[in-house]
Amino acid sequence: MPTLIYNDMTFTVAPRGDRWDISYALPNGSSALAGAGLFAGLAETEAAARAMALIKTIFPVGIKSVGPDVTHPNTIGDLKIVGPDVTHPNFIYWNKDSVSCPRQL
Amino acid sequence: MDIKGSVALVTGGGNGIGEAVVKHLAKQGAKVAVVDMAQKNIDRVVKDIQEMGGEAIGIQANVTSEADTARYIKGTIEAFGQLNIAVSCAGIIRDGTMLSLDKETGQVSKKLDLAKWQAVIDTNLTGTFLCMRDAAEAMVNGGWEGLLVPISSVNKVGQVGQLNYSSAKVADALMPKIIVGEFLMRGIRNIRCVAVAPGYTATPMLTGMNQDALKAILEDVHLGRLVAPEEIASLIGYCVENQALNATTIEITGGLCYPKGIAK
Repeated sequence: MPTLIYNDMTFTVAPRGDRWDISYALPNGSSALAGAGLFAGLAETEAAARAMALIKTIFPVGIKSVGPDVTHPNTIGDLKIVGPDVTHPNFIYWNKDSVSCPRQL
Repeated sequence: MDIKGSVALVTGGGNGIGEAVVKHLAKQGAKVAVVDMAQKNIDRVVKDIQEMGGEAIGIQANVTSEADTARYIKGTIEAFGQLNIAVSCAGIIRDGTMLSLDKETGQVSKKLDLAKWQAVIDTNLTGTFLCMRDAAEAMVNGGWEGLLVPISSVNKVGQVGQLNYSSAKVADALMPKIIVGEFLMRGIRNIRCVAVAPGYTATPMLTGMNQDALKAILEDVHLGRLVAPEEIASLIGYCVENQALNATTIEITGGLCYPKGIAK
């Protein structure tokens, strides 16, 4: 039963009949399913590789800033300061330490 | 197209009509991608499908984002190898009249917020467009048989207090005619498009509302009750199976009428 770590999340790939379930640990200690009944007939190593590729697609990581956001400038007197648009859906806050950022299998 | 063995993705699949569609298709043997904003709802629905013995993945995504749309399409194909059915259920309401007047002066006291307008257009129209466009792209490039299902609403006829919602839903209802016409023009024969326009449906949003208001709504419904989400899911299942259904919008309202009995 392979365990995969990606983006500081722990995933487990477990067999169910000839298929595989991918679960992940939640902060409260319980777990949730990322996928159920996948990769019919695949061996464990192949299923783990497919699971890792799928996890990387489903759970995005990193920061993409879109800007400048000219519609919402910060102002200092008459000076307008435009920054990246942090409300854009592509902007993902990274609240972990930078050391853990590149950690992945 | 057979539901069994097909691959479906449903935006807004974490509750309401979307959840019913996901579960109906999974019960019939489809592999399903549950796309929703709320991870908690996704987790619950994927767990339910696992317990049914089905195949599912959950993808948290914002349907108004082009990047998220590409990601949930890619994730579905990575998990299941193809895509056949795309149902765009994700939707929101932000009701309000365009203008409100001060009762004493008769002057405009309030206008419909641009934010309220934009949020509904972004989710209910642009989100549907992105889902239909990118799902169709995958189906064309993959050479897979496909069905696109925009979810419209009976309020596409124009509902006061819903200028934003009705504008989006009438546009969603128009999509099948234009999309299928363009498919014919471009020689794309493997994809159909059928929109579904539900009436008042027994989703948590409606069943949790003021019960007197709900009773007043039901007085205009010939069926005498709300439409069940499972009934809408069943209609979508039928649309999958019946190849002759194409380039049209089907209403499922239980016989919703204007007061005095004219059907909407």
